[in-house]
Amino acid sequence: MQAETVIDVRNLSKVYRDFWGRKKVQALNALELNVRKGEVFGLLGPNGSGKTTTLKLLLGLLFPTEGEVTVLGKPAHDVTKNERIGYLPEESYLYRFLNADETLDFYGRLFDMPASVRKERRDELIKLVKIEGARRRPLKEYSKGMTRRIGLAQALINDPELVLLDEPTSGLDPLGTRDMKDLIIRLKEQGKTVVMCSHLLADVQDVCDRIAILYGGELKVMGGVKDLLESQDETQLLTSTLNDEAIKEVEAVLKKHGAQLKQVAHPTSTLEELFLRTVKESQERPGRRFSPGERPGQSDSRPAQAAVKS
Amino acid sequence: MFEANPYNLGWAILQWVAALAVSGILALLVGFVISYLALGKKAPAAIKDTLKRGFDDLTKLSGRRIGALAYLALKESLARRALYVLGTFIVLFMAANLFLRTPEQDVPAKPYVSFVLTVVQWLLIPVALLLSCWGLPADIKDRSLHTVVTKPVRRSEIVIGRMLGYGLMTTMVLVVVALFGWVWIKRVVPARSQAQLISRVPVFSSADDVKDAFFFIDRAGNRQQFAVNVGDIWDHRSFIEGQTNSRAVWQFENLNPSRIGDDLRIEYRFEAFRSHKGNVDEGEGVRFRLFFVNEAKKLRVPFPQTGAGVEIREFTQETVRGATAGTEEEQAVLRIPRELRAEVAGDPSATGEKVDLFTDVMDNGKLQVEVVCLDAGQYVGAARTDLFIRLPDRPFAASYFKAMFGIWLMVLLVIMIGTTASTFLKGPVATLLTFGLVILGSPLRSYMEEQYTDRYQKGEVLGGGMLESAYRLVTQMNQQSPLPENFGTKTIQVLDEGVFSGLAIVRNVIPDFRHFNMTEYVANGFDVPFNDAGAAVLPSIMTVLGFFIPCVILGYFSLQLRELESK
Repeated sequence: MQAETVIDVRNLSKVYRDFWGRKKVQALNALELNVRKGEVFGLLGPNGSGKTTTLKLLLGLLFPTEGEVTVLGKPAHDVTKNERIGYLPEESYLYRFLNADETLDFYGRLFDMPASVRKERRDELIKLVKIEGARRRPLKEYSKGMTRRIGLAQALINDPELVLLDEPTSGLDPLGTRDMKDLIIRLKEQGKTVVMCSHLLADVQDVCDRIAILYGGELKVMGGVKDLLESQDETQLLTSTLNDEAIKEVEAVLKKHGAQLKQVAHPTSTLEELFLRTVKESQERPGRRFSPGERPGQSDSRPAQAAVKS
Repeated sequence: MFEANPYNLGWAILQWVAALAVSGILALLVGFVISYLALGKKAPAAIKDTLKRGFDDLTKLSGRRIGALAYLALKESLARRALYVLGTFIVLFMAANLFLRTPEQDVPAKPYVSFVLTVVQWLLIPVALLLSCWGLPADIKDRSLHTVVTKPVRRSEIVIGRMLGYGLMTTMVLVVVALFGWVWIKRVVPARSQAQLISRVPVFSSADDVKDAFFFIDRAGNRQQFAVNVGDIWDHRSFIEGQTNSRAVWQFENLNPSRIGDDLRIEYRFEAFRSHKGNVDEGEGVRFRLFFVNEAKKLRVPFPQTGAGVEIREFTQETVRGATAGTEEEQAVLRIPRELRAEVAGDPSATGEKVDLFTDVMDNGKLQVEVVCLDAGQYVGAARTDLFIRLPDRPFAASYFKAMFGIWLMVLLVIMIGTTASTFLKGPVATLLTFGLVILGSPLRSYMEEQYTDRYQKGEVLGGGMLESAYRLVTQMNQQSPLPENFGTKTIQVLDEGVFSGLAIVRNVIPDFRHFNMTEYVANGFDVPFNDAGAAVLPSIMTVLGFFIPCVILGYFSLQLRELESK
């Protein structure tokens, strides 16, 4: 059964005009997309491709030049839909003279939440985004990463059904990025719908179920991440380390089956994984220092990787 | 500004409804034209949808959200150092101490009181302007507002929340400066002038038709609106001639004896005009006598009952005019006992029957007071407000804090206009617009009213309208000379008529800030009236309420119909 549609965009166009009404930029052109309930949807594209404009049209911050936008079954300009939405803007546009507690309390009041619920939710979120130690400091004293964290907390204050994240990992260190991605996955597990736009492709690949790629305000690609990235005419095998003789034998077997061995290599980890491992080890063994020749955190028995073209 | 006439609440409400309806229809027409140009045939549906949304957004408000937004505005004001104004206030007062106090300690209370109220007013207006005109534009520029509008917040709540927050901030400041000013006045006003710190409560003559409240009887016994003109350019007062039938008549209504007290106190400010000067050293006194009259009972009760009448000592009294120091005689107050004897018709020297002023002469709260001049060849000049009944005085605090209440209402109005302007203008422009309205509604309002009255009530403006005046200036033509009959003159007059019509319209829309300025009452030792067409409590409240609704509607639509994120 097809999942319920949470966002439905039809023939959406947006033209930015100057003071005299002359066309300045065609930010979006006849965009058609839909987001289903419970999925993590990624909006990709280079700078100026229309990702943020799309999000702002979904939120009613901009008015469409043409087309229709329905969010949670309501038109984009209907403010009551916002009761079920959380939004993290690209930059965390918050009030710098408020501290974290005041900020969350303020946004909680905008959702008409009673004081006891606000307090409970505030404590929960401050713990979630790990800023307990800075909750009474004004936001003007926060680093960019901390500002992103409190920005995320305000987006989740109402326990939203639909979360819109604009460049969610921007300004975060790798630890923060990992936390953010874990959080997105956790939100998905809770049955929430997440729409994120980013140009950090690795982040999107890690968490998104479906993506849409925009270029010049037009939709170029849309579909499941797995479907779009999987290469059906190649096979990848992962084994423990093989010696040269074993590799030759494997090659022979492959030839017998009409396939060709294209590459034999040791798989590399990602820099993110290395960084996270190093930080974790440093936290577990605080006094330890780097010594020349050491490869921190790397496993001694790494598997060999072979790419086979059939 | 004091009118001595009650504020016409019914007419004000009617005018408000009409102005709102006309503005609404005009806005709808303009909106329709713009929508039609942008959307074509979809325009009616778009307008219907906008109006429906507008109705919901303006009626389904959340107190908690408005409270949150007000709290935010309050915190923002504190962050923007709005409380620094208190420091400025204290410094100004310390400086004033140096200039107002003299070694003789003989300064009346008036300058102290005027100083405090004027400083509070002109310190709070810039604060209100800066807070209300710059808050929203800064919020839009920093995009903090964008995060707010992604919550279920109605734009009307943003407008109201801002107004409320800035209002709270200025209220806090006003309470502090008002109390500080109060203590300062009490401490620095010289001991001799402390008695001037009271609130006199005057009751002026009144009638359904103001022409019945005060008029003259000429020497032939005919009723007139004006008496003799003794050559003053200022025709505020008319003069009655001594030892003739001439008299000035005041008719009071709705008097309540229980509020008056044991004796009737009447305060007067007459002007004497002497056609002969008498002894240069002693001066020539001009005397008058009061008569309390009940026409139905044919009662005329003189006061003073016998003797030479009351001498006008305008120069002695001039020195304490508006103040209340010294004896009642110095204050030009006549204390009239309830029990008096009526005049015997035809024999002024005879003693008539005993009458009670409140029960026999007063008729259903109505009292007629007449003044006659006793000296032949001399004249007594009087105007309606030159004689009033003085109810028991109230403490100075009554008028002082009412005046502060007036300033508070004025600051609220400035905040409402400033916040509304800031929804569609940037900070500096919104400030200019709001300040311009304050100036137009306060010092320039009287000029505007004069032009309007001359054109639409008297039928002619001396020197013509804007273009005609410019023409006369350039051609060095005086105001009375007729213009040449030609096409240019007609064009000028038609264009001027357009300007006057515009004036007639904006006059109904620009707030009358003069209602809020109650300084003169307090400084001159009068209580601030609740209901007067000039500066008073009721018109001040009604002006603020009257502007609140249109300001919220205008602010809402200008925030709702603009793209906050537009590049």
